[in-house]
Order: sequence, then structure tokens, then C-alpha cells
Amino acid sequence: MPLSRMLKDRIIQNIFFIVAAFSIFIIFFIFFFLFQEAFPAFQTMGWDIFGTNWNVAKGQYGIGAAVFGTLIVTAGAMIIAIPLGIMGAIFLSELAPLKIRVILKPLIELLAGIPSIVYGFIGITLLVGYLQPSFDMLSGYSLLTGSLILGVMALPIIVSMSDDAMKAVPRQLKEASLAVGATKWQTIKKVTIPTSISGISAAVILGIGRAVGETMAVSLVLGNMMKIPIPPWDMFETTGATVTSLIAHEMGEAAGLQVNALFAGAVILFIVVAIMSISSNILQERIEKKFRGG
Amino acid sequence: MELGKIPLYLTNICKEIFKKENMEFKKILCYVSIIFSSIVAVIGFVSVVVSVYIGDIFVRILLVIIALLFSVLSYYSFVRLHKRKEMVGLLVFTVIVFLVAYCLPMFPPEYGLRQYDLDASILKFMMTSVILVVIGMAGASFSMKPLYDFSSKSSEASAYYILIASILLILYPLAIIIGNIISSGIGGISWEFLTQDVRRHGTQGGILPALIGSLLIMTGTALIALPLGIGSAIYLHEYAKKGIIVRVIRIAVDILQGTPSIVHGLFGLALFVPIFGISLLSGVLIMGFLTLPIIIRASEEALKSVPQNLREGSYAVGATKWQTIRRVVLPPALPGIITGGVLGLGRAAGETAPIMFTAVVFMGAGVPTTIFNPIQALPYHLLELTKYIGAYPVEQNAWATAFLLLAIVLGINAMAIIIRERYRVEF
Repeated sequence: MPLSRMLKDRIIQNIFFIVAAFSIFIIFFIFFFLFQEAFPAFQTMGWDIFGTNWNVAKGQYGIGAAVFGTLIVTAGAMIIAIPLGIMGAIFLSELAPLKIRVILKPLIELLAGIPSIVYGFIGITLLVGYLQPSFDMLSGYSLLTGSLILGVMALPIIVSMSDDAMKAVPRQLKEASLAVGATKWQTIKKVTIPTSISGISAAVILGIGRAVGETMAVSLVLGNMMKIPIPPWDMFETTGATVTSLIAHEMGEAAGLQVNALFAGAVILFIVVAIMSISSNILQERIEKKFRGG
Repeated sequence: MELGKIPLYLTNICKEIFKKENMEFKKILCYVSIIFSSIVAVIGFVSVVVSVYIGDIFVRILLVIIALLFSVLSYYSFVRLHKRKEMVGLLVFTVIVFLVAYCLPMFPPEYGLRQYDLDASILKFMMTSVILVVIGMAGASFSMKPLYDFSSKSSEASAYYILIASILLILYPLAIIIGNIISSGIGGISWEFLTQDVRRHGTQGGILPALIGSLLIMTGTALIALPLGIGSAIYLHEYAKKGIIVRVIRIAVDILQGTPSIVHGLFGLALFVPIFGISLLSGVLIMGFLTLPIIIRASEEALKSVPQNLREGSYAVGATKWQTIRRVVLPPALPGIITGGVLGLGRAAGETAPIMFTAVVFMGAGVPTTIFNPIQALPYHLLELTKYIGAYPVEQNAWATAFLLLAIVLGINAMAIIIRERYRVEF
């Protein structure tokens, strides 16, 4: 009788193991199938795939302009989201009274839950119409609009993860600082933030990852022209696309090598975001170890 | 104070400034920087007043140029003072404030500030001026620091104001989005809208098939992702010993969580569409993979919150591992697991990119009879309507669709939060 019970236990454990290993299979499949579809593009285009010639009629598929667009849009988004997000997290974790915190934290989680298509819709109906006259743009569709929307979308992740990181700082550390006569603000500046800096950077990296991979909101409000703007930091004109918006825009009608080139974009995106996820996770593990070890 | 004494005071101040011991280079720079900053602040203030009363564009440009010149000068003096940290801080602050100010009045033109004779560009100019005031004051306070030692209390107070302002700024877009969608969208919700098929490219009719399609996607996602997710979490937290395989699984879950939704969509296009066609099944599989990491994470957190001595008690009376998990560990962890599942469903209801190449069509899908039929879904419907804005009169329906989508997704998320707070078991 005990033998069969143990056997049953063994079987169940193995079933759970297979279920858990499923995630590895998914990652493997994603990479394999994306790369399989992208391979002809890498083969035919060689390094030109990172060039800036995107011309469907001539069969030139260089996604360099989209990569550049992704970089600049993400950078713009982070200029908004990182300082604002960290300041918000400081307020939430250190200053807010419990009553306010109980309301604020769920509200910020709600902000994270708004679907990206709704951000895109709001971007088109409100933001584009506001930015166009304000900056005297040709149309409101620009890299700037994309940056603004992405910045807002990356905020909740940064706020709530940094908040968790600061909450994880042991109370004794803060109290020791207060006990030697430091003000609360000095404690935050000199104790809380330096101790939780790896958690905060994990949050920032995840926020960047989300901004890089965001599709619907961005593809709606960008001009979607595959050109690097002149000068390159000109965020106000209609030129510019990101890797994600390129895929979303052209996959529907793409054929032949164009499909492969779009898949190549997805492969690059996948690798970049995967690296970010892993490094963010390593940082987080470090902070956990630090506090558990004492 | 009599007016006649003012020159005396001024000469006294000048004497104070130009005292022998104050003639070091650094201190002079400090004073210069203070003066410049105050001038910037004053110019900002003047231009606020001026821009309200005078709309002349040249005056504004002139003022902006002068102000910029002065801010550049004061920044220069910062650099010479070797106050690099403060300098960088001030610069970042400036950039944020500028960006924030430009996107602040995000009202649509219909009920914008035009009715008060203020068009957007004047408003923008006013913002610039206000920012100049702020920069000037901040600059002055920064350059006063090396001269006079401010008490730490006062810097604490100013930091608090900035922090409170930042949290308000974070909530501002939430208020704008939800406020606008409710006020513009609720009028379009009617019984006909909810129960009719899409007609004439979405300009007329309702969204019933899209609503049904979204519900089907959510159900299917739950069927796929919940067993896999909960099972993975149980393995990772209850069975797994520290080892290379567990580490790889965790990394895989992390990568899966970060994978952009469009990459999931392309993956589905490459793997499932050739097998199942553009169908409900393809979409559900992709959505299942997308929500899997959310459920794993939440379930693991829930399992973590169950204290170890409960498990040990169960082992002590002779229960096997599986019996312990089923009878002792899972019941108190259930609210947390449900929260994760509900959050995952919320994500599945709102995502567009994974299904747009794999599962959905805009019109004519109706109610699918098998899982191999294509469907319609709310987010994709909203996407198509958004593309038609300006071309066809779809705005009423688009706002209503956005309202419905937001209501569903936020409703689901709110439900998850309530479950978590309500049934949180404390040990």
C-alpha cells in the first residue's frame, strides 16, 4: 500500500515537471519558428538588413530606420517615465500615509491594465489633435507622440516595481538612519534608494523592455515612414517608424522576402527583450539575496 | 520702511557682496548665478503676465530668446562652480518639466481652453514662461547652497512637494483616459449596439460578434493557461529542488513574460496558422502562452505565502506530498491563484497584436460554430474603427467600443484586486 502511494506521488511529480518544462518548450519554439521564417532574409540581405534602405518595390529590406526609430522613441519615453516613475514610487512607498497608499496602489495597477489599443485610440483622438497645433506640425503623427504614449505606458511598471523594491528595504536600516538624526528625506536619499538601487534598475529595465516591445499604441500614432528623420533627433515630423509598428503595418499585405524581413525584425526584438528580462531578473535576485543574507 | 532708505539698503547689499573676504572666484560665480537665475525667474514671470494680455508672436519669441540666453549663462556658471551633480539634476528636472508641461493640457479641442480665448500655442507659451520661473527659482536656490547652509528641513519640504506633484502627474493620464472614454463613450452604448452585427464598416450596427469573440478568447485562454500555469507554479515552488533545470525554467518564464505581444503574434502566424488556419484555436493558443507567465508568477507568490509549518504538520501525520499540496497548501493559496488567473484574463481580453494575424477578422465572422472558424474580437474591432476615423463616420461607435473594452478589462482587473484584498489570508 505505501508503495503504490509513493508511486502515485512520483507520477504526479513527473506530470508537474512536464507542465513546468512547457515554458522552456514555448521559448524554444518561438525562437525556432521566428528564426526559421527570418532566415531567408538574413541569407539574402546579409548585413544590409540593418541598413536604412526599405523599398518594397525594389526588393530592398533594410530595417535600420525602424531600429533607430525604436531607439529614439524608447529614449524619449524613458526621459519621461524613469524620473517620474521613481519619484512616484518614493512617494508611494516612503511618504504616503496608509490610507492614501491603499487607494493609490490599485489605481496604478489599473493604469497598467489599460489595453494598449485604448492608449492608441486616445493617442489618435486626443493627443495627435493637441500636439499638431501646439508644435505646428505637419500632422500630429510623430515620434514625439509615440514617446509620450510609451512614457505613460511604461510608468505603472516602473512605479509598482520600484515601490516593491523600496518596501523590501529592511526597516532597521531606515530606523538606524533616523535614529542618528537624519531627516526622512536624507534617509530616503542616502539609505533607501542606494539599498534598493538594483530593484529600481530591474524595474527600469523591464519598463524599457515594455516600451521596446509595445505595438498597437505606437503603430497608430507614428507616421510609419521608413526613413531616419533629418536631423536624426527631429521628433516632430511625420517620418519614423519602430520595429513593432513596421511589423504591425506591413505584415498584413507583405509577400515574399518582405515577410522574412519582418520576421527578422521580430527576431531582433525577441533577443533584445529576452536579454533585458534576464538581466532584470538577475538584478532582482541580487536584491533578494542581499536582504535574506542579512 | 521709507522709500528714501531703499538706496541705502541697496548700497549696503552691494557692500556686503563686494567685501574683501567675499572676493573669491567661486563666491562671485555663485552671486552671478543667483542674479542670473533671479533674472530668468523674473522674465518668466513677466512673460506669463505679458502672454496673457498680448498675443504678439514677436514679443514672445524675443522673451523666449532672452530667457534662454540667461538660462544658458546660469548653467555655464554652474559648470564653473563644479556643481556637476546639481547641474545634471537641474537639467533633468528642466527636461521633465518641459515635456510634462507640453502634454499637460491634453483636453480635446471641443471643450478645450479655446472658449477662454486661449489657444493652444498661447497656453504652450504660458507653460514655457511658468517653467522659466520654476527653473530660475530652482537655479537660485541651487547656487545659494554653497553660500548659505539651508536647513535640511527646508530641502525636505521642497522634495516632498515635487514628489506629490509627480504622483499627481502619474495619475493625470489615467484620469484623462478614463474620463474621456466614459464621457464620450457611454452615449453610444445601447441595447441595439450590444445585440446587433457590424454593419456598413462599423458605421452602423453593433458589436455583438466581437463581444462574443472576446468572451470565447477569454474562456479558451483560461482553459489552456490556468492548468499549465498552476501546475508549473506548484512544481516550481513545492517540488523543485535548486538545480540547473529549475533555473532554466525560471529564466524561460521570465523571457516569456517579457516577450512582446507582436512577437507572440508572429510566432502564431509561423506555427499555428499553417496548421489551424486563421481560427479561434490559433488565437487561444497564443493567448494562453501570453498569459501563462502572469499566472505562474501570481500562483507562486500565493504558494509562497503559505507558511512552511502547515506543510510540516501535514507530513507529520503521514500525508504524502501530493495530499499535502491538495488538502493543505492549495486551499489558503486559492485567492492568490484566482487573482493571477483573473489578471491573465484581463490581459487576454485587451491584447490585439497576438491575435491580429492569427485569429480575427473585422466583419462577417459571426458566431463561430467550431474552433477552426475565425472570430471577431473587441480590441481588433477598435483597431479597425480607429483606422477608419476621418474616412467614415465611425467615431460614435469607436468611442462606445473603447468604453466597452475598457469597462471589461478594468472590471476584470478591479475584480482581481478586490479578490486579493478581500481574501488575503494572514498567517
